[in-house]
Amino acid sequence: MNSIGENCNELKSKYDQCFNTWFSEKFLKGDKDDTPCKSLFQTYQKCVQEALTLHQIDIKDLKTNHIDGTEFEKKSAYSDSKNKNDNGTSEKES
Amino acid sequence: MKIWTSEHTFNHPWETVVQAAWRKYPNPINTAVIGTDVVEREVINGVLHSHRLVSSQWYFPSWVQKIIGTPKVCHASERSTVDTNERQMTLKTTNVTFGSFLSVDEVLQYAPHPTDPSKTLLRQQATVSVEGVPLSRYMEEALTNNISFNASRGRLGLEWVINKINTEVKEIATTADDLLMQTKKSIDGITDTARKSMDELSASKQKIHF
Repeated sequence: MNSIGENCNELKSKYDQCFNTWFSEKFLKGDKDDTPCKSLFQTYQKCVQEALTLHQIDIKDLKTNHIDGTEFEKKSAYSDSKNKNDNGTSEKES
Repeated sequence: MKIWTSEHTFNHPWETVVQAAWRKYPNPINTAVIGTDVVEREVINGVLHSHRLVSSQWYFPSWVQKIIGTPKVCHASERSTVDTNERQMTLKTTNVTFGSFLSVDEVLQYAPHPTDPSKTLLRQQATVSVEGVPLSRYMEEALTNNISFNASRGRLGLEWVINKINTEVKEIATTADDLLMQTKKSIDGITDTARKSMDELSASKQKIHF
């Protein structure tokens, strides 16, 4: 997948490859040490942060989402199938 | 404000689905996402926290474009957590582009299926809110339909990635099998050679005896 900065694509691809392997082979198997890809991440970050500035995207100051993840637990969407159509989806207005 | 929810069961274990979730794009079914960038990532108390910028091409109906304009690319901020103890992956996405009058908030949660832990249940929720522009209710409706359509393509896209990962795993297994076969063959070869040399040796020994 491409980066927002065209010149960051190669750095991103190297980092992604490292991350995907680390995630499958280490993190999911219980090894939570995230140092293996740190240096690749830092090099990629330097490039991507410059690209963000160039595109005038200020992502750090973004509001957090309105929806809270615990919302699902409260509603227990799985057990509440009353309002659903055949696709398992539902819509409501408020 | 409009709220949309959906559920989908993947016939794959949670570990496979979450690996695929990171590699969801690019896929040939859901082509709207054209770029992803990680801007922050850290493991805190064993939980992986990531913040990504997701860039996509939105295809608004032309009447919506007339009101809000047409940017080439829309950006969204996605914050996620992966907790292996709870076996939960949660992704919360909010739009950056058109942020002053439009808010599209989406939450995706991948967890083991409550009745069959070998499967994965995806719960998805989106809220769409348009304020301060004409026809805002119609626009909310149109965007919600868009989300619903994209969500089904997103699920198909993820299935495609899961298949790809499973094929890769099989390929690795086949390569490993091939390697083992080759090793076995060469060991057999070595044994044959050794046996031959032993035979020759005993033959020459016999010769000496003669």
